[in-house]
Amino acid sequence: MTKRQSISNLVNSLKEKKISVQELFDQFHKVAKENKNNSYNLVLDPDYQKSNIETSQERYSTGTNLPLDGIPLGIKDLFCTKGITTTASSKILSNFIPQYESFVTQQLLNDGAIFIGKNNCDEFAMGSSNETSHFGPVVNPWRNQNKPSEQLVPGGSSGGSAAAVAEGSCVASMGTDTGGSIRQPASLCGLVGLKPTFGSCSRWGIVAFASSLDQAGPITNSVEDAAYILNSISKHDFNDSTSSNHKRDDYLKDIDKKLDHKIKIGIPSDYLKNVTSEITAQIENTKKSLAGYDVEFVDVAFETTDYALSTYYIIAPAEASSNLARYDGIRYGVREEGGNLDDIYLNSRTSGFGDEVTRRILIGTYVLSAGYYDAYYRQAQKVRRLIKDDFQRVFQEVDFILTPTTPNEAFKIGEKLDPIAMYMNDVFTVPTSLAGLPGISLPSGLSSNGLPLGIQIIGNYFQEKKLLQLSHLIEKELSFNE
Amino acid sequence: MSDIDIKRISYLAKLKLPSEKEEFYSQSLEDIIQWVDNLKKIETSNVKPLHNVTETTVSIRNDDIEKNNTTEEVLKNAPERAQNFFKVPKVVE
Repeated sequence: MTKRQSISNLVNSLKEKKISVQELFDQFHKVAKENKNNSYNLVLDPDYQKSNIETSQERYSTGTNLPLDGIPLGIKDLFCTKGITTTASSKILSNFIPQYESFVTQQLLNDGAIFIGKNNCDEFAMGSSNETSHFGPVVNPWRNQNKPSEQLVPGGSSGGSAAAVAEGSCVASMGTDTGGSIRQPASLCGLVGLKPTFGSCSRWGIVAFASSLDQAGPITNSVEDAAYILNSISKHDFNDSTSSNHKRDDYLKDIDKKLDHKIKIGIPSDYLKNVTSEITAQIENTKKSLAGYDVEFVDVAFETTDYALSTYYIIAPAEASSNLARYDGIRYGVREEGGNLDDIYLNSRTSGFGDEVTRRILIGTYVLSAGYYDAYYRQAQKVRRLIKDDFQRVFQEVDFILTPTTPNEAFKIGEKLDPIAMYMNDVFTVPTSLAGLPGISLPSGLSSNGLPLGIQIIGNYFQEKKLLQLSHLIEKELSFNE
Repeated sequence: MSDIDIKRISYLAKLKLPSEKEEFYSQSLEDIIQWVDNLKKIETSNVKPLHNVTETTVSIRNDDIEKNNTTEEVLKNAPERAQNFFKVPKVVE
């Protein structure tokens, strides 16, 4: 992978007129247009962006440029974009053109960003390999150096976003994370992926999967780029009742500030029970990289880790089955004809959803159905509280928690057929999601196959500023991108 | 876990599984339900269910009417329409 230019470098080059907004757009658009890794469901035409590019250039000329002015971004095809087809990588939404802009993408537009296109993802964000997309799998730009002909998954569900940034067709991409869908693909593609605290970024206009878990966040080449994007998108929004109205920090300011007090980082021994030595080495390398700083590493133990995946695979499908009830072929989306109204519902839904989405709707319907609600759904919500309390207990002892992001490197497309084996990919990211805590995945090294591996750092609620400062330091010390 | 009635569940979900796929989904559902069954052994009688992790966040707005879109925009994605309505087959005789 070649060294990428950071957002701050690009903004400076644009300011100093070393490059024009049009030239920058063309450079990325050219790679995106080839779409050789199938990371885009749609690449926007240069003509479509002409006036946006011109007004951005105009602002640079008059010295009134905005924080993300002229920066080419990819957008997961789960964000509603006004007038631009938004499919959630599903057949049932394959013809859907939103009449409004999602809150998060509107903030990016307000800050001058220019969209390259809509990134492929797992259908309705349900998957960990980007293989469930109606528009075909995304290919990871990385190759196993011992088996270079094999096509690997980029992770998921924001697999198109990660592949797009890794292949250099956009500077950064917006993803969403429900149980690991930003952090896991970022890890498998050697990138930074930030899932903010639940409630930081409005869910308004994001195609809903599991409303108590879904959160938007960036996939970027660097921690600093993640801070740029977070500054833009983390805002209160009255259209999302779970949007938090706390005062936001400036995440860029002092990002390279030296640690001025001792910090404690917890390493959960239960996370490392069954992982390979390559994965453990990522944690060890991180510890070593911080040896020269006032950082104490302590062993911590969770009591609920073994229950997190089960809890997630009850709550997320339950919410999904409710959220996806809206796709009925009546008001929008693809309609399949039928003799009566009920047949239209049945035919449209049956033909419109792929296997994994159907499976999750069935799980969700089952755990919410009469006679099973208390045993499964209500019990899962209670265990979710225990998981949250477990994290709060550990955060009384430590400032951050360090874990691997994934239990494995990128695997071959078509290799994991068993759904439960696929769900295990998110074993380290799901607990954080259930607790609603912020988590970031950082590239930490390469496997013996030459594939990227990542670490996850978890912070306490709304501590994104401190999380990014520490991540910036670790990134520098690990020097993955050098 | 033989008590999963796949026909009933798919009916509740408004899905018409093709008969050759019923077995596939039924088996898959059984496997997953068995996998998540470990939650049952956790003692939770004194635990309150957690619906929203940011329980302390209050984000209520006044229910004021705002006109953000037009009838045309709302109907733009309709598979079938008649004047200002979504069109479906006749429901009431």
